[in-house]
Amino acid sequence: MKKLAPVFFICLALAGVVILLFGCDMKSSDSAISPQSGQGGSMARFAITGNTLYIVSKKSLEVYNISDGASPVKTESKNMEIGIETIFPYQNHLFIGANDGMYIYNNSKPENPVLLTKYSHVQSCDPVVVQGNYAYVTLRASSLCRPGATPSSLDVIDISKPSEPVLVNSQVMDSPYGLGVSNNMLFVCEGEKGFRIMDITNPKLPFGKQYFKDLPSYDVIVRNNQLIITGAKGLFQYQFDDQNNMELLSKIPVL
Amino acid sequence: MSSCVLSDSEPFNGNDFDGTAYRPIYATADELTKVSVTAPVSLTDPGKIYVSDNYLFINDRGRGVHIIDNKDPKKPVNLSFISILSNYDIAAKGNWLYADNATDLLVFDISDPRVPKLIKRITNAIPVSYFPPYQNIFFECADEKKGVVIKWEKVTLDKQPNCFR
Repeated sequence: MKKLAPVFFICLALAGVVILLFGCDMKSSDSAISPQSGQGGSMARFAITGNTLYIVSKKSLEVYNISDGASPVKTESKNMEIGIETIFPYQNHLFIGANDGMYIYNNSKPENPVLLTKYSHVQSCDPVVVQGNYAYVTLRASSLCRPGATPSSLDVIDISKPSEPVLVNSQVMDSPYGLGVSNNMLFVCEGEKGFRIMDITNPKLPFGKQYFKDLPSYDVIVRNNQLIITGAKGLFQYQFDDQNNMELLSKIPVL
Repeated sequence: MSSCVLSDSEPFNGNDFDGTAYRPIYATADELTKVSVTAPVSLTDPGKIYVSDNYLFINDRGRGVHIIDNKDPKKPVNLSFISILSNYDIAAKGNWLYADNATDLLVFDISDPRVPKLIKRITNAIPVSYFPPYQNIFFECADEKKGVVIKWEKVTLDKQPNCFR
């Protein structure tokens, strides 16, 4: 556990920042979470922060300076172990999801990210989002992703005591893909099974508020109280509020 | 790390061959690098999404990028489609859209999003590994001489293939 300590100190520090941001202005919290000018979903392999484009291949982190947007210049290429899947910039850090864990890079110097640690978890196929003192991890149990007969799950890990990460909650999911988090709401794309909205007013105990079983979902972007969701039926946009009211704004169907 | 390994006996690595495996689908370099811009088309297999300014970019898995004017989320307007084989990822900033095309990184000028223009191709920007994006499966070993692997199809085989990861 000793070697994990730095991760949790960082998470704790980030958590503090997030709480401060949330405390100031709920409306602006979505944009404050991510330093990206644009915004991708949690499944992304591409991410832009400032003048830097990050790309994770299956086995490396590629860094490009895009000060001249028309002509990206490679500044760094970091070899990683095979199995890299997603990248999620968060303040001065990059959270890189792999199928056996999560890498955390410090990107205070955006063009030369420094690996801080790798937090290993069981083999699975999905991303992680962090808010406050808790990390939300979905583990998809497709036979192609996770050996054995363990079910898919949403795990909540308390990272408030950096040296002692504690799994505080684990509940069965159907087939989770992308994740999104915003204040007291957690959104889980459940693939062909639908789209799940969970309440995290008590952050260590997400509970299901709504499960749209007729809305297959793969990736989600949460932005300014709006959801942009893609899935087998197309692209759906919703407006939501703190009372979990959902209003369908529009859809672009798959034809 | 896992890689292409020869296995001459069953069970291998604790996994029995159950008759299913993955087979690489190849494209020639010419097929792969052909990029074209068309009028808006319907979504067929939407994947990842990216928002930048008032625009929404929707990846159609393995096929390309839909560009949507999303200024009014109640009335998104489909503006154009960029056909790019083996495209799964996108990001955009200002007038520039970045997209993968197998191992290449493409840059588009989207100052007129109805007519995006390919202005740069950076070859071999994204290292690939020649095996399927899955674990604990058997697959036919990829042969670089046959072209670039653009995807993997699940097939039924009588004989256990030589690669496993």
